[in-house]
Amino acid sequence: MTNEINPRNPISRRKFLAGGAMLGGGLAAAAVAPAAGSDDGGQRRGNAILNSGRPDADYDLAKAENTLYSACLQCNTGCGIKCKVQDGVVVKIDGNPYNPWTLVPHLPYATSFDDALPVDGAICPKGQAGLQTAYDPYRLRKVLKRAGKRGENKWVTIPFADAVAEICEGGTLFKDVPGEENRHVDGLRALMALTDPALAEQMAADVKAIWDEREKAKKIARVAEFKNRYAAHLDKLIDPDHPDLGPKNNQIVLAWGRLKDGRGDFYKRFAAALGTTNAHGHTTVCQGSLYFTCKAISEQYAGGKFSDGQKFYWQADTENAEFILFVGANLFEANYGPPNRSARLTQNLVSGRTKIAVADPRFSKLASKAWKWLPLRPGTDAALAMGMIRWIVEEKRFDARFLACANKAAAAAAGESSWCNATWLVAIKDGVPGKFVRAADLLIDGQPLKVAEKRRTNDGKEFEERFLVVMAGGKPIAIDPNDEQTPVFGDLFVDTALPDGTLVKSGLQILFESASAHTVDEWSEMAGVEPRTLIEVAHELTAHGKRAAVDIHRGSAQHTNGFYNVLAWMSVNILLGNCDAKGGMIAASTWDTKGKGGLFKLDAHPGKTTAFGVSSIRHGVDYEKTTLFAGYPAKRNWYPLSSDVYEEIIPSMADAYPYPVKALFMYMGAPTYSLPAGHTNIETLCDTAKVPLFVASDILIGATSMYADYIFPDTSYLERWEFQGSHPNLANKVQPVRQPVMAPIPEECTVFGQRMPISLEAMILGVAERLRLPGFGDQGFGPDLPLRHPDDLYLRGVANLAFGEKPDGSQSVPDANGREIEIFLQARRHLPSSVFDPERWKTIVGATMWPKVVYVLNRGGRFEDHALGYKGDRIAHPYAKLLNLYQEKTAGVIHAGTGQHHPGYACYLPILDFAGEKPDELRKGYDLALITHRVITQTKSRTIANAWLSAILPENGILIHPADAARLGFHNGETVKVVSATNPDGAWPLGAGRRKPMEGKLVVTQTVRPGVVSFALGFGHWATGASDVTIDGHVIKGEARRAAGIHANAAMWTDPTLKNTCMLDPVGGSVSFYDTMVRLVKV
Amino acid sequence: MAMTRAEFVKATILTGAAAAVLSGAARRSRRRTDYGDPAGEETVREIQALSAVKADESEDLLLTMQRDLARAMGKPAERRQWGMVIDRRKCVGCHACTIGCVSENKLPPGVVYRPVLTEESGRFPDPRMQFTPRPCMQCRTPPCVPVCPVNATWKRADGVTVVDYDKCIGCRHCLTACPYGARTSDFGHSYRAGAALGAGKDVDGALQGRAASYEEQPNHEYGKAWSRAKHGSPIGNARKCHFCLHRLEAGQLPVCVTTCIGRATYFGDLNDDMAVITRLVRRERAEQLLAHRGTDPSVYYIS
Repeated sequence: MTNEINPRNPISRRKFLAGGAMLGGGLAAAAVAPAAGSDDGGQRRGNAILNSGRPDADYDLAKAENTLYSACLQCNTGCGIKCKVQDGVVVKIDGNPYNPWTLVPHLPYATSFDDALPVDGAICPKGQAGLQTAYDPYRLRKVLKRAGKRGENKWVTIPFADAVAEICEGGTLFKDVPGEENRHVDGLRALMALTDPALAEQMAADVKAIWDEREKAKKIARVAEFKNRYAAHLDKLIDPDHPDLGPKNNQIVLAWGRLKDGRGDFYKRFAAALGTTNAHGHTTVCQGSLYFTCKAISEQYAGGKFSDGQKFYWQADTENAEFILFVGANLFEANYGPPNRSARLTQNLVSGRTKIAVADPRFSKLASKAWKWLPLRPGTDAALAMGMIRWIVEEKRFDARFLACANKAAAAAAGESSWCNATWLVAIKDGVPGKFVRAADLLIDGQPLKVAEKRRTNDGKEFEERFLVVMAGGKPIAIDPNDEQTPVFGDLFVDTALPDGTLVKSGLQILFESASAHTVDEWSEMAGVEPRTLIEVAHELTAHGKRAAVDIHRGSAQHTNGFYNVLAWMSVNILLGNCDAKGGMIAASTWDTKGKGGLFKLDAHPGKTTAFGVSSIRHGVDYEKTTLFAGYPAKRNWYPLSSDVYEEIIPSMADAYPYPVKALFMYMGAPTYSLPAGHTNIETLCDTAKVPLFVASDILIGATSMYADYIFPDTSYLERWEFQGSHPNLANKVQPVRQPVMAPIPEECTVFGQRMPISLEAMILGVAERLRLPGFGDQGFGPDLPLRHPDDLYLRGVANLAFGEKPDGSQSVPDANGREIEIFLQARRHLPSSVFDPERWKTIVGATMWPKVVYVLNRGGRFEDHALGYKGDRIAHPYAKLLNLYQEKTAGVIHAGTGQHHPGYACYLPILDFAGEKPDELRKGYDLALITHRVITQTKSRTIANAWLSAILPENGILIHPADAARLGFHNGETVKVVSATNPDGAWPLGAGRRKPMEGKLVVTQTVRPGVVSFALGFGHWATGASDVTIDGHVIKGEARRAAGIHANAAMWTDPTLKNTCMLDPVGGSVSFYDTMVRLVKV
Repeated sequence: MAMTRAEFVKATILTGAAAAVLSGAARRSRRRTDYGDPAGEETVREIQALSAVKADESEDLLLTMQRDLARAMGKPAERRQWGMVIDRRKCVGCHACTIGCVSENKLPPGVVYRPVLTEESGRFPDPRMQFTPRPCMQCRTPPCVPVCPVNATWKRADGVTVVDYDKCIGCRHCLTACPYGARTSDFGHSYRAGAALGAGKDVDGALQGRAASYEEQPNHEYGKAWSRAKHGSPIGNARKCHFCLHRLEAGQLPVCVTTCIGRATYFGDLNDDMAVITRLVRRERAEQLLAHRGTDPSVYYIS
């Protein structure tokens, strides 16, 4: 309340209120004359809304010169955003109507800026609150250096250049910190032992030869040869006895949380320039096994083996499907994502065009609109799927025509674009499916079914094509899966012996037998779903032709059996034959920015050193091939089929397996908070012996960066560039561009003679300048193609996007006209020249591309028009390749914990630890299954800064069914602590003697399955502004609001064998988010 | 048990408000009716929006409604009758409208024009969840208007009940008069007040601190500039939804409409037979909240 005299009201408020009180409230009203202002007849009325003494004001937010389009990153859905600037400040964020995420259909790309201007697309509350991320009072402006123990949150500010120098040169950097007076830290210069590109390339080839050698004795001999050959260079290796660990450069690890293209190019270029093979992302904490199962499904038969699988996945065509079964996916709150998918679904649900079912232990908002809710038991996804598969096969309700297509020609003949290997024959040894039969190996009357052919791979290597085999009409015939001439349709169910006695089964037969391990009733019982419901949903799935799909997300993937849960559901989709069909499963399609059209080759990296060796997370190579092979179980898991295994990055350092790490960089990552059992990471990060140098790039002091030695302030998503890419629920080919829309918060620095805000890029460029790293500086991309400023990469990327993917430029976007260029310049008038300098920008892309670059940036990216996403009943940008229903490559991989081969087909596996044991010991005495869910107002670690969102849901709670609450004597709103066998204390050990109990309020609700408790991610912070920090001796108080609620990840099981990380999926790499049993304790 | 449709429209629980203090809220106002609102030719707007984007049956509902809006703005204000329909079947409970409104109107903590209420009902394994956005109902007989002692709030000819903050004295009578709880008081709070204490406002510091940013910018309600910087209006005033009149002037739909990711909120001129909203109100069973109160809302619900 104010006591100020209102100039337009003769009575002060206080005076009036006082009077009003005396006179008895409302009765006072009549005594008061109408305030001045209603009779200002002569005044200009710009808006003609309210006649009053207060002058009319322009609506700044509707003006072209205050409007910039970009891409959100409040979550990774990355919706197109329309940022509205008022007096230099971003005050409102809406949806970009050119972008298909926020308007359906989106505006035609050719729509002029002025025509599009009044249209606001729809984005979610987080997206709108994003400006509170950018203007967060806790945003860092200067580089911080640790001035206390790790985790103590004591810092000093340090000039940017000094921080760069210290990281590069090392020394007793923390001599002022008690206990570290004499601790020497190796700098990057010392860790970059191998910098000779030719030498590195030779060594890499010889390491590959060691790996390719199968015989143990010969392998040992090859290592000896290696040591002889490189005797003068052994000091450059981590361990000369294990040359396949690679050079010491590998002891630099670059990790990240959320990294998109563009910035990804920058960061990965940095890794390449440092010569380390260790650049690891966070995929497995999100839905890794969804990605890596789909990678395994997408492995292509080439050169006689399976390779080139894509790290990607499919989603349902929300806009056109008639029926979708969502499993562990909640597209109203997450699931990539609410704005794009909700807008495509709600009207269809109301009109009856689309029907959905939702399988989830929790009744989500999505489930509230569903025809059926299947409250399945956590971790039993595959049981539910196998039950459906059994029913679908027995009822013959699968797409037989699609499944029979054994090669590409058959797919074309059947009107399909993709085909699968359901009919290919798999050899069965001792009852176990192994490799596909090769036609050249199958002798009939002494003659091979088909003689092997000498062929060359796409990259020119000679190989022997031995062909595969299907049964057609009961007779074996040889096939080339990629043959486009001769269609082959195979027999679907084969279980027989070939003439040479080999027992074989078709892939579909193997799947059916796997599904036949139990009856439908038994599968239903395991999944905790009524058999009748299972059948009803399976019936509906198979009643819409190709316009039905199973759409899954992390609910299926984030279990120890995640890979097989995903494979089971994707097998259902393959049975439906819905790949590439309108209303079926679609893959994302994005425009290139790296120079496919030949304009600017942003992949060019002159002088880079070939990185080689086992990665610090042991991915991409078979354990058995390496010199570290020492039987089973291995010390930790190996990941030949996956990558970006987040839960291995820091715990592997703790075990120094495969080798010790000397320097860790973390960009936009909070593994301590985000990972299940993330507290295990804290212990390691606090140990300077295990992590000698830790550098973080963060916009504030975050849940993981608080343990760093240096924090470089970063620009937020509203201050920087990136290419957001797409999601597989969008049929159109797109590429949204994230670009600076506000002046940067961090202070400026100078690198390579250029002014720029301190940021991830500045940190990289600073190190690159000091260490003269190849691929940066005046010749960064090649002669006359410098990389001295972030603009050098990003603007050329935008130019590539504007140019298109054809070398003749025929895919170029139009030129922006004079009006659009004027708007473009005006709308950036609030940006400093270190960010926006039209002359610099124009010079970088060249005068010809400049108006095209403006055209793209004025629209927030490049977006194909809506109608072009489909061709009749098909997707216009199809996957159009082989789908592996049976996976020879997966079946060839051995579980490093058990020594057993992984199954190559969909099956139900129970929850298992790394040793392959059921965690029954951990379950004893813990009666509630702990799961998590998402609320639309929070994105894991980074949205708590947004006070508007806290107003919607100030704190999360622990959802519990009334029956459980009653059984345990709990009531709604009661505070309880979450404990588990691996965290009986029920607290986060935060390091430096601090702890945070895992306590939250119970929410008693019918919306969760009995026996299951759930909490929403994104609350219960201990950093990110939630705790006090000391900088340069000043205490900056934490905000209690940010600490509210519970984050119970630390209760999630630590693997009983590995001990320093969570339980995990040994195949797809996913962390186990939903397998832990807990107990709730009264506080 | 799930709430029936009849129960829903009578359920005061959904309004989030204490029951209205004034019974007979719909009694006729004896107060002045001429507030000198702009009318006639000066309110006619020729809006060019989307003129070059071909209308299409399959276009986004937002575009169709924007075309409806442009048509309505081509008439004098007194011939428009703004209305809203909220299709609860399509509402996904995301609160995009709530936050959109807070952001658009720079609402401080405690001031909310458009909450979304979530209700759970039923029992496992058949629970139900329903979402109800609750804007100002823009009643045709608004109980909040006659109780104002200073004539600071009134109903415009186009159906929108407005507040002139410069006249409002913050007595809160209108808050209690509204049976929907659609009005809240602005106590001058800041969303950043509790953050980074100790960091100061020193822009050369290590942290951003509470340096001036979005909250300090004036908002645009009623086509005016309302700055919070000097604790002037609307601090201390009653505040409420106004269908984003300032956006309508610019040819833009209310922000709760454009932010609706489920496309559950319909808006337009109920005097326009061609408008999406008019057709919808006639076709579907559109109901008013607490209709028995006689407030005759311009906001309708489909359930």
